[in-house]
This record gives sequence, C-alpha cells and structure tokens, in this order.
Amino acid sequence: MTVAENLFENLRLELRRGCLALAVLAQLRQEHYGYTLRKALADRGLAIDESTLYPLLRRLETQGLLVSEWREEEKRNKRFYRLSRDGEQMLSQLLQEWTELNESIGTILENSKTL
Amino acid sequence: MELLDRYLQAVKKHLPNKRQDDIIAELRANLEAQLEDKEAELGRGLNHQEAEEWLKSLGHPMLMAAKYQPMQYLIGPGIFPIYWYVLRLVLLWGSVMYALVSAVIVPLTTHDATRIVGAVFAWPGVLLTMATWVTLIFVVVELVARNNPGKIPQFDGITKDWQPSTLPPLEKEQAPGTKARSYVAAVAEVVFGFLALAWLLLIPKHPFLLMGPGIAVVNALPYQLAPVWTEFYWCILALCIIQLGWQCISLVTDNWRGPRVAYNIVTKVLGLIPLGLLLTTPDHLLFVLKNPGADMERYGKTLFSINEGTHWGLTVVGVIVVLQLIWDVVQAVLAARRRDWKPLNQSPVK
Repeated sequence: MTVAENLFENLRLELRRGCLALAVLAQLRQEHYGYTLRKALADRGLAIDESTLYPLLRRLETQGLLVSEWREEEKRNKRFYRLSRDGEQMLSQLLQEWTELNESIGTILENSKTL
Repeated sequence: MELLDRYLQAVKKHLPNKRQDDIIAELRANLEAQLEDKEAELGRGLNHQEAEEWLKSLGHPMLMAAKYQPMQYLIGPGIFPIYWYVLRLVLLWGSVMYALVSAVIVPLTTHDATRIVGAVFAWPGVLLTMATWVTLIFVVVELVARNNPGKIPQFDGITKDWQPSTLPPLEKEQAPGTKARSYVAAVAEVVFGFLALAWLLLIPKHPFLLMGPGIAVVNALPYQLAPVWTEFYWCILALCIIQLGWQCISLVTDNWRGPRVAYNIVTKVLGLIPLGLLLTTPDHLLFVLKNPGADMERYGKTLFSINEGTHWGLTVVGVIVVLQLIWDVVQAVLAARRRDWKPLNQSPVK
C-alpha cells in the first residue's frame, strides 16, 4: 500500500466510523440480530465487517442506546437488538446533525464549483 | 464445523472472563447463520479451504476479541499532553542535575578516569529510570481519574477556564541572519559544559585525557611545559566556569533564546587573557628542558625553535580572535542601530 493509499484508507475509516453508529441505530428501529442486521445494511449499500459490527452492537447496548434479548428462532438462540428509548432520542439528534452536516458539505461543494 | 469451533475457542481466550460466554454464544449464532447462508448458496457444505478463507476474512481471533474490549490505553488523551510536557522537563532537568552532580562529585571522590567514562555511559540508564517513574506516576493518575470521574481536579492551564492573557509573551525578534536556539540546544550546552569542566578538572592528574596514548611520547621528550602553562590552565578553568555560570543563569532566567551577542563578546574578551598570558611570557619561554644542565647543548637550539614557532602560532591565533571580536562588536552595533531605526520604518498596526 502506498503512502497515499494508506492515508486515504485512514481518512476513509475515520469518515465511516461515525456514520456506522448512525446507520446501525437507524436500522435498529426494526429488530434484528447481528447477522440479519449486517445483511440488511449490506443490502442498502453499507457493508460492515463482522469484527466491527458485532462489537459495535455491544458498545451501543452498554451505552443504553440499544436493548437486546436472547430468543429462539429457527431452533437456534439468537440475540436480538432494537433501539431503546434513549436510542431513539439520540438517533433523532444525530440525524439532525447529519442533515446539517450534509447540507453544509453540499453548500461548500456547490460554492467550490462556482469558483 | 470444527474449524469454526476452534476459531471461537481462540477468540474466547482473549475475552474478559465475565462476558466471554455471552459474547461467544452471540458470535456463534451470527457466524453459524452466515455459514448456513453460504452453504445454502453453494448447495453444499464448505470444504476445508473455503472454510479457512471465510474464517480468515473474519480477522485474527485476537483482533476480533480486541474489538469487544473498551479502548485501552495507559495514559489517555486528556492527560497525555501534560505527561509529555512533564516528561521532557524531567529528562532535561534531570540530565542537567546528573551532569552537575557527576562533574562535582566524581572528580572530588576519585582520580580514576574510568569513573567519568562510567558516569557518561550511565546517563542513558538514568534517563530511562526517570522516564519510567514519570510514566508510572501518570499511569496511576490516569487510572485514578478514570475510576473516579469528576473527583480528580483538572490540571491548571488546560481547563476551560484558561485565560489567553496567561499565554507567554511573544519571543524577542531575532536579528536578521541569526538563528533562534532551541531549549534542547540550550540545555545540551549546559550538560556538555559540565562534562567539559569535569574533563578539565581531571587533566592535571590524568594528562592521558588530553594527549591520549601520545602522553608516552611527551614523557620521553627532553622538554616540558613552562610554569606559565599552570596559570594558563587556571585561566581556562575560570573561563569555563564563567561560561557555564552564564549559561545556567540564562537557562534559569529564561533568557536562553536568541543570539547571545554579549555572551560571545565577553567570552572572546576573557579568552584573550590566557592567550595574552602565553604571548607575554618573557623570552617566549613556553617550553623548558627537563634537565637544562645536561641537555642545553644538545637540545637548546631545537627548544628555541619550538618556543619561537609556538609564539608565532599563538600570535596568529590572537590576531584571528581579535579580528573576530572586532567583527562581533561591529555587528552588535549595527544590529542595535537597526533596532533603533525600525519603529520609524514600521507602519502602524491597523
């Protein structure tokens, strides 16, 4: 990997890091267990590694933004996650932030085009 | 699948005891569901190579387990800038103290030249010990702060209450063509100054330190240094102490930045004293015979040539030093004039 590629990879990961939590919270307005959540996100164009997603779910649960329960499905015990009440509030705040950020970036890009 | 079981077992070993069963059960459920999908897609079970590739894509068990751990660090980002600042201070001042103590104690307690070499070689070990202690203290502070949030007072200067007016004043503007000195360079100068002083103090007892193996040749010669060299030695020692004192005071009073015009001029003027001492020796007698009665006839002429040659060599050195001194004084006067003129040329700040 060249220095430029390495730099891009670092910046890309940095950019994605915050977005992943937002995407997971948004997706968990509907109940999922780890694997189906990963599939659902991938189907919508956001592929996440197992080693990133599963620990992230744990972290968000520890922070009180998700609730989980073990339940049997298809003869197998699975841990299902969904958004908690605090998670809903946090999600709406984050979405607000996201929207503003997105608009700002859009404006900056528009302005730079006209220069 | 045996390979999956082995993978999960390896992950489990790197997870905290309390949560490992729960995490592994969940990870197993997710990975088995993924495996079922893969097998359904293929219409058969994964062969060994495919299973290996799949598990490899999940990442090394240790890395997978590490992602479940909270972010781990010995010294967090909140304390790290202070740690780094303190560490640098301790290492710099520790080095100064070590050099000071070594320069004073070693020559007083022993005449063994190897002790001074030992003191120099022990320096990295002393630095390492100091760094270890500072790091350990900050690790403890970090641990206490992390386990007692809000109870540990914030360090003054990096809290939200800091005042811009408490920032240090602007550094003095450098004269054109001169270079600002770094703090490290200023401290290193003091450290090496003390080492040089220790070296100077050891020379009378151990001329080997000055001449090296050449001392054997010098001892075999029929000539020796004239008594004027003893006075010369004490002058050099005094000059070294004055320079060192000046450097220490500059460091302590925070005047180590920038060019040292006065320091350079004063040390050059004082440096002329020992040189003048040698140049004004009656009959240019810088070297004498060990046994004048026996050797005068044989070595007298050579001795005369050596003394005259050395005298002229020292005269050339003296002329160079005086010219340098004149140059420095002229530069200092010109720089002072430029400073006096500058406010008139500058436009007012809007």
